[in-house]
Amino acid sequence: MADATFLALSVLTIGSAIAALELRSLIYASIALMVTLGGVAGFFLLLDSPFVAMFQLAVYVGSIAVLILFTVMLVRRELIFTKIEDPRRRYAGVGLMLIIMLGIGAVIINSGLNTITTEEPPVDYRDIGKELLLYYWPALILMALILASSVIGALMLARREDVKGEQRTN
Amino acid sequence: MSTIAPKFRLGHFIASLTDNIFWGVVLFTLIGLPIVFIVLFLIELPEIDGKLLSPYLAVTYIADPSRTLPIIQSLIQTDFFKIVAFPGFGFAALIAGATIFIERKFLAKIQLRPGPFYCGKVEGILQLMADGLKLISKEIIIPAKADKPIFWAAPVLFVATAAAFVSLIPVAPGWVVADLDVGLIAVFAIIGFFPIITILVSWAANSKFPFIGGIRALHQMVSFEIPLILSLLGIVILTGTLNLSEIVASQAGIWWIVFLPIGAIVFFISILAELERIPFDLPEAESEIVAGWLTEFSGMMYGLVQLGSYVKLYAFAGLFVTLFLGGWHGPMVVPPFPEEIITEGITMGPISIKIPGLPLFSQEMLNGTLWFVIKTMGVIMVILLPRGVFPRIRIDLLLHVGWYKLIGLCFLNLFIALGLIYGGVLGPEGFIQ
Repeated sequence: MADATFLALSVLTIGSAIAALELRSLIYASIALMVTLGGVAGFFLLLDSPFVAMFQLAVYVGSIAVLILFTVMLVRRELIFTKIEDPRRRYAGVGLMLIIMLGIGAVIINSGLNTITTEEPPVDYRDIGKELLLYYWPALILMALILASSVIGALMLARREDVKGEQRTN
Repeated sequence: MSTIAPKFRLGHFIASLTDNIFWGVVLFTLIGLPIVFIVLFLIELPEIDGKLLSPYLAVTYIADPSRTLPIIQSLIQTDFFKIVAFPGFGFAALIAGATIFIERKFLAKIQLRPGPFYCGKVEGILQLMADGLKLISKEIIIPAKADKPIFWAAPVLFVATAAAFVSLIPVAPGWVVADLDVGLIAVFAIIGFFPIITILVSWAANSKFPFIGGIRALHQMVSFEIPLILSLLGIVILTGTLNLSEIVASQAGIWWIVFLPIGAIVFFISILAELERIPFDLPEAESEIVAGWLTEFSGMMYGLVQLGSYVKLYAFAGLFVTLFLGGWHGPMVVPPFPEEIITEGITMGPISIKIPGLPLFSQEMLNGTLWFVIKTMGVIMVILLPRGVFPRIRIDLLLHVGWYKLIGLCFLNLFIALGLIYGGVLGPEGFIQ
């Protein structure tokens, strides 16, 4: 059962990833990207970590894909891209990808990773929270500071100089 | 000569009969028999009274009332029943239909509209049916330059997403379709799909009004998701769990709205914005942009989107009840099932029948469902009320409220929750629990 689900998810994820790269219509490509990200969430579900899967859905599909869609809809494609159709580049890209995939695959298969079997129960999110707060708290605070500073930076970038204070509040 | 069927000929009549019989036999052998074999070989039939249920036994059981109840009882424990009927889609759609009816009555009371009062003599009972018939009988029109696959798929996706949301809401103890350990995060993940569908359909319609409406909907939904999520973190801090059933079980004594009223208010306002209800109905502002992102929908496609949005309304109201109003908890008002019917059977005149398998539903389940439905309908009424009273607010005010005020109130709510724990009021060592 799990194998069938895994195969179906793999086909879905890789197929829609290829579609996301190859489709001419940017909207359909971003829908395919959404399916890919959802398929990754499915892999996390198969790996017994529903917490990560739900965050994958909420953050990647729910927010980042919406941002991509929004950007694609507001920008006219013809103005930013000049098409370069070159079959040699295409074949070179496919060949490079195959070489990299084979290399990574060989490393993974030889590393003994596929013989590991584990009977551990799925990781509870409460344990993740405890570890984050008790042992990894400096990293947590550092992350919070980085995120806060990036939010403040984004606000500064979005601030318009030509709008007076009165106009802004109204 | 009869004038009813002037071209009647017996030969044609017999030919059409044999034709029908032929097609019946062909379809049965090609479709019916494979289905029977699939049922017999592949589907695991339940075991009842120590005997495996075969189709033959099922037919004999249906004829015998004393054996029908165990079948029904095993049916209502299956996932299929839970998804399709009771805590799942059927229940939600029923409440959605009731909501539409109540909304029309309620608005008619507020604004003196005649239709829902008199349609069908008795309290306008036929108004809902008239609306449904109108939608079904209308033609489905697809705009010529629309992107057809997305445009066709969007209403179905909308209903499916709303139904997925419904599957997470616990109705009674143990009666929930998907009892996830990370239920609240799953709710956030599912809510994130609504803006995607909205913006996709507004783009696919290839028309100006839907696109403006869709962009407004995107702004509104994305910016109100943040206070929606933050306002619930107080409850997560207090209960220490993300499972919705456990959150309900933790409110046996006092509801969380007593301790976290600010969170409840912020969550309620965010619900209104997520549902595009008045006063936050900018995406469908009918006096400005025709019908917003719904403009190009017609016929049953519009009906499906409406069904989806009312199912979503039920799900959000159920979530509010689950998180703040104690879910299924309430005083026991359902009387216990009479013992003598179980032990002695029903006596009708000279006959007494003993029916195994009673009671069908436990007392706790009926009571929990009753209280859940009462509270949910109350919350739905409060959600509907602003429609008859308030005007629409401007989009910059909307975003201002969402980004400045509600998020600030959310942090205040979080500090209240932390203060309740560290002040020793609640929590493992507190003096209330």
